[in-house]
Amino acid sequence: MQFFKTPHIQFLKYKYIALAVTALIVLAGALNIIFGKGLKLGVDFGEGTLIRVMLKNRVSVGDIRSELNSVGLGDSVIQETGKEGREFQIRTMEVISTKEGPGLESHEKQANAVIEALRGDDGRAEEAAGQRDLNRIERRTLAALLETQFPGQGEGLADKVIDHRTSVGICSDFAELSASGVSPEVVSFLKDKTYLGKLTVLSRETVGPQVGKDLRQRATRAIIWSLIGMLVYIALRFKLANGVSAIFTLTQDVLITLSIYSFTNREINLPIIAGLLTIVGFSINDTIVIFDRIRENQKSLRKMPLEDVMNLSLNQMLGRTIITSGTVFLTVMALFLFGGKVINDFAFVMLIGTIEGIYSTVYLSCPVVLFWQKLFKTGKGGRR
Amino acid sequence: MKKGLQWKLILTLAVTALAIFLFFPPKDKIKLGLDLKGGIHLVLQVMTEDAVTIETDTEIARLQEQLKKKNITTKAIIKGDVGKFTVQGLGVDQEAGLRTVLDDSFQEWDYSFLGETVSLQMKDPAVRYLKEQAVTQALETIRNRVDTFGVSEPMIQRQGMAGDRIVIELPGIEDPERVKNLIKTTAILEWKLVRAGPAPDEAALLASTGGTVPEDAQVAKGDPNREPGFYLLDRVATVSGKDLRTVRRSADEWNSPAVSFSLNPEGGRRFEKATGENIGKQIAIVLDNKVISAPRVESVIPAATGGIIRGRFTPEEAEDLVVVLKAGSLPAGIRYLEERTIGPSLGADSVRQGLLSFLVAIVTVMSFMIVYYQLSGLNAIAALILNIVILFGALAYFHAALTLPGIAGIILSVGMAVDANVLIFERIKEEKALGKGILNSIATGFSRAFSAIFDSNLTTIISAVFLFQFGTGPIKGYATTLIIGLVANLFTAVFVSRLIFDVTVPKSAKKLSI
Repeated sequence: MQFFKTPHIQFLKYKYIALAVTALIVLAGALNIIFGKGLKLGVDFGEGTLIRVMLKNRVSVGDIRSELNSVGLGDSVIQETGKEGREFQIRTMEVISTKEGPGLESHEKQANAVIEALRGDDGRAEEAAGQRDLNRIERRTLAALLETQFPGQGEGLADKVIDHRTSVGICSDFAELSASGVSPEVVSFLKDKTYLGKLTVLSRETVGPQVGKDLRQRATRAIIWSLIGMLVYIALRFKLANGVSAIFTLTQDVLITLSIYSFTNREINLPIIAGLLTIVGFSINDTIVIFDRIRENQKSLRKMPLEDVMNLSLNQMLGRTIITSGTVFLTVMALFLFGGKVINDFAFVMLIGTIEGIYSTVYLSCPVVLFWQKLFKTGKGGRR
Repeated sequence: MKKGLQWKLILTLAVTALAIFLFFPPKDKIKLGLDLKGGIHLVLQVMTEDAVTIETDTEIARLQEQLKKKNITTKAIIKGDVGKFTVQGLGVDQEAGLRTVLDDSFQEWDYSFLGETVSLQMKDPAVRYLKEQAVTQALETIRNRVDTFGVSEPMIQRQGMAGDRIVIELPGIEDPERVKNLIKTTAILEWKLVRAGPAPDEAALLASTGGTVPEDAQVAKGDPNREPGFYLLDRVATVSGKDLRTVRRSADEWNSPAVSFSLNPEGGRRFEKATGENIGKQIAIVLDNKVISAPRVESVIPAATGGIIRGRFTPEEAEDLVVVLKAGSLPAGIRYLEERTIGPSLGADSVRQGLLSFLVAIVTVMSFMIVYYQLSGLNAIAALILNIVILFGALAYFHAALTLPGIAGIILSVGMAVDANVLIFERIKEEKALGKGILNSIATGFSRAFSAIFDSNLTTIISAVFLFQFGTGPIKGYATTLIIGLVANLFTAVFVSRLIFDVTVPKSAKKLSI
């Protein structure tokens, strides 16, 4: 089977247009980042708090916002993350950064305020009557409680109940416990001794300003060093012009991805950095494959001008470029569709990156080599 | 079969068997990161200056004692910045005496005289030693507490340039608030005699003493959830947490949660004396400068009996108090710098969805390879599966945890593994189109595609090594799987895939399913 016969497209004819398109997208992104909505830094970099909650009953974003308004946190970003209007992600926006002060403590108070506000009066009466929240109780405490009534079985029963709770996130009805293999006596005992709180905290993340700054610096340093490493290796294996071009290509991959990303409502966090690095990985892979073919063709076609060799090589590799990028695209699409909320932002970045990667490999990696060689007149070869 | 081929086959099978052995059964061998398993990740800073301040206080007290002994008069001793204090209003002609005292028993301090004022500053090595000690002790105490509380596979480590940060990772915690408080409590427990109180505010409390706090007394606030109000207490504690011999969780006569304790002989004697002299009065139990209860002394408590701490505890609070009292108090305050809590159900969700999407992705890619490359596609799939097997084997061998960014690394390496096969197969097709024989096409295809595969994989490995070296947690996790995956790729896509062709394609082959 063969999708692609080697075509004869004059890719390099469009080099100026390609550069202009790139410049345009990067410029639009830059303008948006500087003057518009901008890039939102995530909790990982010391900005605010991220809380994920799951509720027993269905509510709307508006309901949550009005509850948060009552504690003065109405400007938080609230997103529905799961199905059925029961899972939400709340991100407090206020950046509390004091020079030496208790930055994290303030964030923590804010996070507690959010949870308290959402919980409201829920469970006060029950707690006062000595009942425990079955949606919050710890395995061990529950085991001890059950042990009083069902000697010798406390631990096993508690495991069943907690495992059920873990799999559904929050118990909304005592009846559902019977389905998880707990006897009716146990259910009625639990009904008597516990109640079902309306909210459970799925996760909360707070990073203090100091650590945020640290993470930012270390991520930047790691990326700069890895770029230098790649530049040196490619310059050694090919030519300096190729190294420069590879770095240029992947820089614009990242910039274009960030530009497009800045128009969405998503945040930059550490998984996104991993996503950008993955894009860089694929981009460098694509670029090297093309350079390798050019290097090889130059050996057999010594008379042909470099620009034509490049065109030939790009055409020869077009099938491979599309097949590889296509399979990666399918993989990432699977992550995007089935990966769940935590992985979704990452998959989104990768989707932009893979599409954009085909374009940059085909239209950008070669012209830059040409420009660099014209600029410094380093002969016509792409090979040492 | 050729001899070289046999050895290659044996090597491949051996590597496969080893990898499977390493990560089997995967449930036990593959460690999941906190983002997948659920748990709590804390970064905290030890306020090492606290330790210096406490030491300074002790030293000031020691100096005062010595000055008294030697009859050296001063007006006041005033504490300055961390590790500094000044002695003011030194009596005339007493400079020499003070110098001798300082030279003899305060060698850890630099001092300078200026008229009748002496400034003292703790020497750098002493400060460094104290700070170092504070972190080591804090680490030890936290480890004790976590162990006593009972967490499986805790990770507690020092970190940071100044070495004053501690990273704690506790997997599978269901009540993170509780653990956070457990770790953060300083846990200094004292019994102090009550002079007055409880009063609703400080002014009312001090009405009996004329509005001022006597020198040997202190004002303490009650814990608002247990014993609200203000108390006037003796400055010196009757007994403290250091005098405890045993502590355990128990219940009081109304069956509410409580903590019972017994004292060492020394503390027991002091407790017996104090209770005997103060029948009818209150004695406050103070935890971290907050009064948690203030029972009335009804009779002498003999040295050997010990007693009970009551404080309107919930069962968990009583348990936690036992834990911190057993593990000892922190030498300095601590502050949280970073806190991430992933609930178990979110972690389970992520694993489920991560696995599902991974399977969907792999199946899609494999189906494509079979449809597009037919039987040769099977070859690519075998190489891909072996790549993943080696990757998991290596993860298990290095005890590296699998995290979400780690999955990103796997995706990149799977992508590059597929790419390697695509490069080779496309090249074989090209060579075939040029009219070469099947075996010749395969051989040329592999040798021509090799440089591209090698260069692109090595470039990415180089960048990943730097990311591993300089990156933090999540980025490190990404780099780990990527490096392993790509090294495995060079083996599977180039070596193993070639071997499969060599074994399956007969010498006389006229056609190749590709």
